[in-house]
Amino acid sequence: MERAIDTWKIVSLSPLPLWALVLLGITTVGGIVLAVLSVRRELSARRRWTLWLLRAFAGVTAMFFLLEPGLRKLQVARIKSRVAVLVDRSASMGFPVESKGQTRSAQAADVLDGLAPDIEALRDRYTFETYGFDPELSPVSAGTLRSQPARGGRTDLLAALRAAATGQGGSTARKLSGVILLSDGADNAELAAGLSPRTKAAIEELGVPISTFAMGRSGLKDLAIETVKVDEFAFVRNSITAEVEVRGRGFKGQSTKVVLRREGTTVATRDIRFEGDDDVQTVTFTFTPDQTGRFVYTLAVPVFPEEAVADNNTRSFALKVIRDRVRVLLVAGRPSWDERFLRGLLRQDPNVELISFYILRNQADQTGATNDERELSLIPFPMREIFQEKLDTFDVVIFQNFGYSEPGLSISSFESGLANYVKNGGALLLIGGDRSFSEAPGRFGMLADALPVEVALPADVQPFKARLTPEGQRHPVTALGGASQSSEAAWASLPPIPGANLTRGRSGATVLLEHPFATVDGRAAPLLALWDYGRGRTLTLTTDGSWYWAFPAHAGGAPSRYYERFWSNALRWLVRDPDLTTLQVVADPPSVEPGKPVAVVITARLPDYQPAADAQVKVDLISADDGRVVGTKSGATNADGVVRIEFAPPAPGPYRLVGRASKGEKSLGEGQDAVAVRAVGTELADAHVGTDLLAEIAKASGGKAFGQSVPRLSEVPLLEPPLVEVGRAKDQPIWDRWYWLVAMVSIIGLEWALRRRFGYI
Amino acid sequence: MLLTRRHLLAASSTFAASRALAFGDASLFVPAIAQHGGKWDARISSLRRLSWELQRRTSIEVSLEVRPLQLASPKLFDHPFIYFGGEGDFPALRGDEIENLRRYLTYGGFVFADANDGSDGAGFDAAFRREISRVLPQNPLTPVSLSHVVYKSFFLLDASPGRLLKKPQLEACSLGKRGAVLYSQNDVLGALARDEGGSYEFEVMPGGEPQREIATRLMVNAVMYAMCLDYKDDAVHLPAIMKRRR
Repeated sequence: MERAIDTWKIVSLSPLPLWALVLLGITTVGGIVLAVLSVRRELSARRRWTLWLLRAFAGVTAMFFLLEPGLRKLQVARIKSRVAVLVDRSASMGFPVESKGQTRSAQAADVLDGLAPDIEALRDRYTFETYGFDPELSPVSAGTLRSQPARGGRTDLLAALRAAATGQGGSTARKLSGVILLSDGADNAELAAGLSPRTKAAIEELGVPISTFAMGRSGLKDLAIETVKVDEFAFVRNSITAEVEVRGRGFKGQSTKVVLRREGTTVATRDIRFEGDDDVQTVTFTFTPDQTGRFVYTLAVPVFPEEAVADNNTRSFALKVIRDRVRVLLVAGRPSWDERFLRGLLRQDPNVELISFYILRNQADQTGATNDERELSLIPFPMREIFQEKLDTFDVVIFQNFGYSEPGLSISSFESGLANYVKNGGALLLIGGDRSFSEAPGRFGMLADALPVEVALPADVQPFKARLTPEGQRHPVTALGGASQSSEAAWASLPPIPGANLTRGRSGATVLLEHPFATVDGRAAPLLALWDYGRGRTLTLTTDGSWYWAFPAHAGGAPSRYYERFWSNALRWLVRDPDLTTLQVVADPPSVEPGKPVAVVITARLPDYQPAADAQVKVDLISADDGRVVGTKSGATNADGVVRIEFAPPAPGPYRLVGRASKGEKSLGEGQDAVAVRAVGTELADAHVGTDLLAEIAKASGGKAFGQSVPRLSEVPLLEPPLVEVGRAKDQPIWDRWYWLVAMVSIIGLEWALRRRFGYI
Repeated sequence: MLLTRRHLLAASSTFAASRALAFGDASLFVPAIAQHGGKWDARISSLRRLSWELQRRTSIEVSLEVRPLQLASPKLFDHPFIYFGGEGDFPALRGDEIENLRRYLTYGGFVFADANDGSDGAGFDAAFRREISRVLPQNPLTPVSLSHVVYKSFFLLDASPGRLLKKPQLEACSLGKRGAVLYSQNDVLGALARDEGGSYEFEVMPGGEPQREIATRLMVNAVMYAMCLDYKDDAVHLPAIMKRRR
């Protein structure tokens, strides 16, 4: 507080209440008006004006005596208020002011140093509090600005201004008289799009002038992937569009390429050309994910030598690809009960979209129709359309007892495409019968390589009960058991089936069900076998009698849904349903800001899908670009079968997290997920200087916007520090002097005398 | 084409050879027939003929051996298609027969019922309506419109005649969208019946031989429907079928 000073002011000492004074005042004014009106017909202007003035003076003197004016003598002192100096500490302040020049933070330090003498001169009136904001306020000095790089991941100017106004961040509760804001204006929060009516009102509500100093210079040369608009989810085999905004500063008239990559593989490339010095070009990439799961996509533009910032030339995002409904293509060699019950099942499943083709007539069949077009409902088997043009639209392809050799029905010319379809992530299911495997008139050639079994012997037509293998006892496809019955017991309760194709399991295949007595090469013939082929999966069931598990199984009267459960399991396994895995690996979160750790949550379950407590978990963090293992971490699951593992922040790029779990010596499987470690966050994606925004803020608040040069602090608008009374006030009447009374009597007397003289009563 | 005893023997031996590769009756169409207390076996030869027609005209693999089945037998569940025919009244079904037949239909079985006596309101018709209403009390017989898939499951048909043409429409008990019981009062299999000499056993009224062919096609469609359900209602078939129907 400054030294106290003497001052005075005139006050009313009347004991009457305010309302009485107002009433008397109105009455007096009314009297004056009436008195003035009464002489309005006076012909002489001099007389009229003389009377008007005398009557007005008489009224004023009457008011004077009513108010009883006095002199109040008092002492006041001025309280220091504060001025907040806010310095942007977001990471973009680390950009150079100009190419190869000092950083914006260093420039802010220079401004602080330049203002220091003026600040010192105003110390008796203002307290200057200097804070860095990122966006939390914390004290900062010019030295700190030079020695410690700015690291804030966000620029939120409005939040910083609000914090300063409310005295957060250690600010005292002194009245705020002004804000000096040192920033590059590259707001990426509420003010990212400039001032809106709402944010402008918010700044006005702060009630203090905000003077801004723009740090950095426009005119930098920089290319940046500024925004990427894309959904977090996509449906497999459905196109999705990513909209990308590329900002080019200093690239007028130049062209460049924008590349979209999925974990090292180029998906698409687009050419762009910048028309202005500061131009934003929008490009769209429409692509079709062909596999479910989470994948990291990266957008990139080339880095030019003179660019201010190279890190903002790439941007990664994680995309989770899910399925809408499982799209199943069912090709049946002929109508059969096996086909009928499988169709009934698939048609009832709301999660399945079934497209089916049945061979209802062979070339040898004689329909008896004289005009096939008019009398038959048959259509040609559109092999080219479904196996070439639309094959990739199917999640699962089922061949049910299908193996024709005759022209028009043989798929030999499409086998290569089918094998590639599986290799690239598709799923193939082959169901046996008297036209399949060794019984097929036309056997598969190239496609046979994709199958987990190979033809061996003619079919065995003796009825038998399917037997679970040790692998089948814990595999989700054959998991028919529930709370009351084991899978083994469930399979044992199913009726015998009438025969099977005899095949030989291939190396690497997993056999889940086998023939109890028919052997091939001394080993039980596989009934249900599966494996991963490339990125896809194939499953073979070497019988056309699975419908016995659906219909004859009900002969005894006890309803069971084992048939439905088995096929549901099989389809879900084929399409890699995440719920059907015993090990779930989920990146948490799937997109990581630079410098943040990569975390992964592992959920392990036992083969019976109970939580696997105390399971040993090992996770590899693998670069998706080059397959290099970047890190490996281990952990143990808790009672819920869950463990969270963190990796130290890796270099920017796409990564895969591959997890494995085991309990004792038993493997609980393997799972994986993808994570994008971004090269730059939102903050570093934009190197521009928001001089316009800073000017708008200054204008809205009554402050001033300054450029590069350091002004005198006297040019910066600040509110005056407030005055407060100190000590006792003393009132001295001034109305009770004799001369005031004489003046009033003289005026009234003169008015009376003149009125009489002018002929008025 | 005339089906003679020689034809049948030759076909049977061919099927016997081919069935060595097939898995029993698992995927074959087996002409199974329901046994009841009335005259249930009036169309045995017609069923054999139906199998032969299916084998000749379609890719369906068949057995020529007609399989009589007790309605209360668990073996009913080995045969998802059953022919339920008869001449005249038949006694009420037993409780276990009703229960088994109901479960059979509920879990996916199919019954083609056929009034071999062409009765209407009496005889087999009255008895069958009485019994099927006991089996499926919640799912009464209702007329089958000509847009139903059974009229396009293989042949494009716009009528449902048999040996007779007493009723222009089939009737069906539907479980959900699936027709579980199809019923004709026109003795459809009567149109296929042949005597031991290979001649047609009955004259077909009123349409003569063209009507016999349509009756045969109707039975082919009924079997195709039992085995393929609503396959011909799939979107991929509809444009072609609509075009041909114009």
